[in-house]
Amino acid sequence: MNAQLRAQALIAAAIVAAVALPGIYLAAGGSSYAPAKTQDPCRHRPWGNPEGLEQIAERFSLSALDGAACQLGVSRETLAQALATQEGRERFTKRYGITDAELARAVRAGLLRAVDDAEAAGALNPLLAAPLRETLKSIPLDRAIELIDNAETLLDDAQSFLGPAQGLLEQLLP
Amino acid sequence: MSEAPRPRVAALALAVGLVLADSSIVVLALPQIYRELDTSVAGVTWVLVSFNLVMALAAVPAALVARRVGPGRAAAVGLAIFAGAGLACAASETLSTLIAARCVQAIGGAAAVTAVLELLPAAVGSERRATALWASAGATGAALGPAVGGLLTQLVSWQSIFLIQVPLALAAAVPILAVARHEAATGVLSTELRRTGRPHLSANLALAMVSAAIAAALFLLVLLLIEGWRLSPIGAAIVVSAMPLSALAGGRLGRLVPSARARAAAGAILVSGGLGGLALLPRAEVALTVPPQAMVGIGLALVLSALTETALAGRAPQAIHGGWTISARHAGVVIGLLALTPIFTHDIAQQRHDAIDAGTAVILDSPVAPLAKLGLAQRIASRLEEERGKVPTIGPAFEPLPSDPGERAEVVQLREELQDQLNRGATHAFSPSFGLAALLGLLALIPIGLARRVEL
Repeated sequence: MNAQLRAQALIAAAIVAAVALPGIYLAAGGSSYAPAKTQDPCRHRPWGNPEGLEQIAERFSLSALDGAACQLGVSRETLAQALATQEGRERFTKRYGITDAELARAVRAGLLRAVDDAEAAGALNPLLAAPLRETLKSIPLDRAIELIDNAETLLDDAQSFLGPAQGLLEQLLP
Repeated sequence: MSEAPRPRVAALALAVGLVLADSSIVVLALPQIYRELDTSVAGVTWVLVSFNLVMALAAVPAALVARRVGPGRAAAVGLAIFAGAGLACAASETLSTLIAARCVQAIGGAAAVTAVLELLPAAVGSERRATALWASAGATGAALGPAVGGLLTQLVSWQSIFLIQVPLALAAAVPILAVARHEAATGVLSTELRRTGRPHLSANLALAMVSAAIAAALFLLVLLLIEGWRLSPIGAAIVVSAMPLSALAGGRLGRLVPSARARAAAGAILVSGGLGGLALLPRAEVALTVPPQAMVGIGLALVLSALTETALAGRAPQAIHGGWTISARHAGVVIGLLALTPIFTHDIAQQRHDAIDAGTAVILDSPVAPLAKLGLAQRIASRLEEERGKVPTIGPAFEPLPSDPGERAEVVQLREELQDQLNRGATHAFSPSFGLAALLGLLALIPIGLARRVEL
């Protein structure tokens, strides 16, 4: 092979390789290899058919997170990380310029949405839903966050909040 | 011209390889320096940038000094400065002292590497062989640098990278001292000074652009492997050794094609294709980085030597034009690092946020028992706080695993899904920067195509 042919062959081989490799990687999913997108918290998520207090409490927590996140204009996941620790909460409020009062309002709104969702899904009896709403409207921030962390305590210990409804909880839960 | 003894030729090649390896040798040590000296990604980049910036600025003045005081003396003194500054680098306890020592090291390196080019023709018997040896010693050093640096960092420490350079630089300086003594005795140099021609603009511009792309490839790949995929420095060194090994193959391939224009064009295309492959990695798998690295390695051997030979062909004095090529290469490295670092540090912060959100979604939607899930979410949040700004290792957050086999399997699956999201985030964060570097490599085809005199 003469020098000119060798030069042409080298360039041709380089072009083929430079097109083929990215092409193969692209076909194998190279452009979509990115973290999954999180869902809009303002969109309703179906509850499915939760069984038992533990699963209802979990769906309740997730709905409350969605509701609060929607109110604050952040993702459910960002809010969940923020509420996991005190430091996370402080960093979150600083980063998004949110006051404790605004956070409290959002978390309460989230809990109220969770009550609505639970009622709509048939997981919470309407008789229990109304007094729960009243209780949640004035609940302090720290207690509201605790309830998002573990809604089971709210549903399990509802007696202490509901007063007259004491003892009816287990019967009213489907 | 008669040839010099082999030890002197080897010493000259060693000096060039050693100095040019230094522009990339600390790449794999950067994550360790980053942690030990408690700095930021942008801050630690200056350990690389400072050396390359000073090399770019000092190469031509150093070559002029070498012409004035004598290349033997300049090379010997340059290597001594390089070694002394290497000691200072190893002893540095703060980022600023390390950067200052790196600047001094670059001044010594610039003097040595340009002066060697003036000494090589007499040592190897012809100017053309001298140019080829100088270019290939530089390309080999630059390609080998990261792997050697990674091995030393893992086996000893990042300081050992600089300590090992001291005896090597002195070993290279010893045979050169004979030349320096001869220069001092004869005092022939001042009579050899002559006017220098203009530097080869197209070849040097192409060198700068390709060097920017290659520097980005090395720097970004190492960060991806160590900070993104959590490989150890030695693991990353083994992985990136694919590049110098391929560069050796590229050097052999280059000998089969006499046309410098063809080698330069093919090399630039291969570097771009390899970077394109790295921008489109379909999974966080080390094996998938090997084909793109092979392309970059072969490409860099072809393009760097072809452009260096072109820039020097028929031009005198060699030290000055060699200085221009060194200046162009290192300016390219600086531009590549400075242009791409802010882009990828922004992208990595965004992708880290997205990956953590995606991972949190995996946890929240997982079938793991709610209470176990909440505890887990809190432990993961704590790990994120401990490793702020970095991709976290989430394994310890899952310890101890539940004893119930069913629950254990669910937690293990959850851990894998969460790690997958973090890997996706880490890998995707580097894609735009690799893509831009690929574009830079392709743009180098313009000056290569415009070069009026690229055939040797």
